Amino acid sequence: MKKKGLISTCIILCVAIFMTVYAGISFSKKRNFVEDVVTEGSAVTRTMKLSTYNQYLANTFGDVDIYVLEGKEPGGSALILGGTHANEPAGHMAAIVMLEQFVPTKGTIYVIPDICKSGLSHNDPLEGTPQYLHFTTAEGKVRTFHFGSRASNPIDQWPDPDTYLHTSGDWKGLHLSENAYTVQTLSGSEVRNQNRCYPGIANGTLTEKVSYAVTNMINTLKIDMVIDLHESSPEYAVNNAIVAHERAMEIAGMAKALTLEEEKNIAIKVEPSPVNLRGLTHRELGDYTDAFALLCEVGNPSQGRFRGYTDEALAITGKDPCYKVASEIHNGALLYVDYSSGDFPISLRVARHVTTVAALIDEMSYEYPDKEILIDNVPDYDEMVETDNLGLWLR
Amino acid sequence: MTPYMITFFVMVGVFMIGCFALKWPVGVSMLAAALCGALEGMLAHGTSLMQTLTDTGRMMVEGEFGYVDTILTIACAMIFMKVIEDSGALDALSSLLIEKFHKVPAVLLILIMFIIMFPGMITGSSTAAVLSAGSIMAPVLILLGLDNVTAGSVIAMGGLLGMIAPPVNTAALVICAGIDVPYVGFTGPLLLLTFPLAILFVLMLGLPKVKNLDYEKLKPALEKQDETRKQYGFKIYIPFFVLLVLMIFFKLIAKNIGVEDVGMPVIFLVSAIVGLFTGRKINPLKAIPEAVRTATPVMAILMGVGMFIEIMTATGVRGFIVMTCLQIPEALWIVACCISIPLFGAVSSFGACSVLGVPFAYIYGTYLGGNVVVCLAAISLIAAVGDMMPPTALAGLFAAQVTGVKQYTKILKKCIIPILILLVYAGFVLVKSKTFAWSVFG
Repeated sequence: MKKKGLISTCIILCVAIFMTVYAGISFSKKRNFVEDVVTEGSAVTRTMKLSTYNQYLANTFGDVDIYVLEGKEPGGSALILGGTHANEPAGHMAAIVMLEQFVPTKGTIYVIPDICKSGLSHNDPLEGTPQYLHFTTAEGKVRTFHFGSRASNPIDQWPDPDTYLHTSGDWKGLHLSENAYTVQTLSGSEVRNQNRCYPGIANGTLTEKVSYAVTNMINTLKIDMVIDLHESSPEYAVNNAIVAHERAMEIAGMAKALTLEEEKNIAIKVEPSPVNLRGLTHRELGDYTDAFALLCEVGNPSQGRFRGYTDEALAITGKDPCYKVASEIHNGALLYVDYSSGDFPISLRVARHVTTVAALIDEMSYEYPDKEILIDNVPDYDEMVETDNLGLWLR
Repeated sequence: MTPYMITFFVMVGVFMIGCFALKWPVGVSMLAAALCGALEGMLAHGTSLMQTLTDTGRMMVEGEFGYVDTILTIACAMIFMKVIEDSGALDALSSLLIEKFHKVPAVLLILIMFIIMFPGMITGSSTAAVLSAGSIMAPVLILLGLDNVTAGSVIAMGGLLGMIAPPVNTAALVICAGIDVPYVGFTGPLLLLTFPLAILFVLMLGLPKVKNLDYEKLKPALEKQDETRKQYGFKIYIPFFVLLVLMIFFKLIAKNIGVEDVGMPVIFLVSAIVGLFTGRKINPLKAIPEAVRTATPVMAILMGVGMFIEIMTATGVRGFIVMTCLQIPEALWIVACCISIPLFGAVSSFGACSVLGVPFAYIYGTYLGGNVVVCLAAISLIAAVGDMMPPTALAGLFAAQVTGVKQYTKILKKCIIPILILLVYAGFVLVKSKTFAWSVFG
């Protein structure tokens, strides 16, 4: 009996060790996988390290590249942030498409496609998501990108507190509303949410350090506009929308009315940035810098709570039977996007982001000629949607 | 939706067979259910065998990490509990409380209930409440004349209400994060939801047993405890004070002065270390393995639950369950809310908040035009019941453990009426949230 118990203990132990090693290799590979952002042939003139704007980021996992696309003529400047939430792939991929395709002729565009690199390096436990996405380019090359987590990797900062007390650190508000809370209690796990940690703390957690660097970069370079690219689950109220700081409301409203809806036939909402919801880019970067702060959302079934089978195909095609059912019950009251087609492909989601960013930059250039940015080679919205193959817009 | 239903039945079927026919531990049954669900779900979806095996292996381990923090807290709390039990601190505190408050048993019961709730109020966790204050108050309740099951029920309900009572309500914070609502103004609604219920439940369960408390008759039974008190004096209570001070400092004060929270596991361990030197002699090499062994089945359940949820989500079963709940007619939404959220809490009450609490918060707070803060507070109270639902049933299982009840289901049965009252009250506040809007402040 004793011998039998010993044998079964040994077998269980061996299986446990095997599973640990096997999963460990998989996690390690993901952590160290480097995406191949192609700058050759693009308009990228130089790259910088984010640690340039926060010394405490040097040699950490958050010290990512800033891609700089400079036009021949000086003009305004814009910063595009992708990958804030790494489980929202259209935000990440749209930033990569823009840095590989946009050709500014006037002004400067800064692109950080993986602002929360730590979040890209792992997946959320209990969410059953894929680790990678693959796209085939026009030349037949398969390119691999991360599908990650909404939050930074616990390897970089752990454990989470019971509650996260958001503060604005040592920053002095430039445009802070009188009634705004300057500290706020949030769920403990939000301490690893890049979009709850602005304006950031220089020597705080990794997530706060990254946020600090972004805020400092905008102030140092006097960047005129910052656009953070996201996706949201279809049942989330702020969806297919531009969220704008009050100083950027006019730009967002005009871009929506004149370009996106009238010219491109893209249905999009403009939402004001809530004054009392702290830590978000559209709030803090608008309050603590002079930039016009905006955030773009587009519906993504692969991150929603109603979703069915979750794999790479869902993230790319957005086809989901559960969301189809959700769109048909209670007169569609459960969803905030039109999901009647039964899909929401990444080509469409990225196309919306690329077109929205271009429209916002155009509008700023029109309203503020001294901040003018002119861009060539903006991928055509209709073409992106019709071809339904994001790989065609990657180098 | 049919493939999801098949996977759902495979997972539930394997779990039942493992648990009831093969008499496997719950954690192992959940592991087997997750494994079979993954293989069936992924292969039926057309995923290649190689990819299925690769993804399953990775997800099974990934899922376990969903509860790693809770598992650490449980292990450390059990060590603390063992130390204060072996050192005689529990005995001493029991006899002291009874001696001081035996003339006012109703007040004593309410005081005990608030003490049980306190760790939950500052950590947002029923496990922390039951394992710390619950374990300390268990012998007091039993000495007062409550049978073990009733004492366990009081502790379990105290744990549930403690995790929802202000200032820290993790369930509400999870829903707030899901719908981008700041955690502001919750104190009033949460006080209104939890404190009246706490007083009602402790008197309902405990008063019939203690109202005729005769201290003189009780004295001989307290002889051993009194002796420990006299032998060690004030020193024996030091671990409780260390626990209390560390909790108050790190959970309430530290964040306001920029000091990092060291976490509940460290707080429990430090208090346990102090307990080694303040009472009867303890052999840590014997006590610690014994404590961890006691907690192992629950820790195994949590690991199994992590795998189970991860696979349920990946194979679409989670979405299928959510859609099934939301498909019912509008008039029955409140019933669906009060049943589905606690039932989903069987795998995780915080998971239930994220998966079902968020859609219901939208329905009641936005679609039906209720007061968002009151709605979220009420939903969080409903979600707390999930901590009583088997197989995880963290509050119930640990309450059984600290009161020496072998079958946790006895505690669940005893708590059915309080739980029903809680659900009706929370459901009423949810539906009439606008009426309670006055309570929103701060």
